[in-house]
Amino acid sequence: MADIDDGPSTSVSEPLDLVRLCLDEVVFVKLRGDRELKGRLHAYDSHCNMVLGDVEETIYITEEDEEEQEITRTVKKQSEMLFVRGDSVVLISPQAPS
Amino acid sequence: MENGSSTSKDPSGFLSEIIGAPVTVKLNSGIVYKGELQSVDGYMNIALEQCKEHVNGKPSRSFGDAFVRGNNVLYISADR
Amino acid sequence: MTSQVLPLELIDKCVGSRIWVIMKGDKEFSGTLLGFDDYVNMVLEDVTEFLRCSDYSGTQTKLPKILLNGNNICMLIPGGAGPAQ
Repeated sequence: MADIDDGPSTSVSEPLDLVRLCLDEVVFVKLRGDRELKGRLHAYDSHCNMVLGDVEETIYITEEDEEEQEITRTVKKQSEMLFVRGDSVVLISPQAPS
Repeated sequence: MENGSSTSKDPSGFLSEIIGAPVTVKLNSGIVYKGELQSVDGYMNIALEQCKEHVNGKPSRSFGDAFVRGNNVLYISADR
Repeated sequence: MTSQVLPLELIDKCVGSRIWVIMKGDKEFSGTLLGFDDYVNMVLEDVTEFLRCSDYSGTQTKLPKILLNGNNICMLIPGGAGPAQ
């Protein structure tokens, strides 16, 4: 067997192992198009398709005000369960950013 | 070996050389992630430790660990 | 007997010398080519990253050694040291 002593459950030998270690944990996901998700990771695959539960979605919207100053506002949405298509994923982190 | 492969100078050799080292990963969007390189795979998916995000050259946020999906990667640079 | 040079052979001839890489977007890189693979992912040394614009006055970033993703490469210029030269 290829697995060494510390076993498949804790080792990070390829990047997706990091995602595997996040199963059933709360993850932070950055998506294309200035969107972010925070939710519990129920499932994922090698494309980074994911099923997240108890999700908070944050959308960053940049607009220009009357003086042509750029302002960013955020919109938050809650979902009980959602599917993320892997091709829109930029980053997955087990911790919320600080 | 038509392109003198399997030295530390081709892409896979370079990657194995910099595993565990501090790196800068730049995405096509211009966002930069700095951290310690945990692992890379054939898709250029990347796992970083002590990952710090830089937007427009300024540090913005940090993550403990981070998985970066390879299709967004422009380059991986070994920090000196 | 043909004397045609395959594209990857041309790149192989550039190993060890300076190369100028023009990306699909607005970025360009110049550096010494250390190696590449079948996807034309490239290892470059002593790299300068440029933003393409009319006079290349924008910021240039120096990078000691990088693996450049081949996915967004548009064109390679052997011997090219970048726009400034």
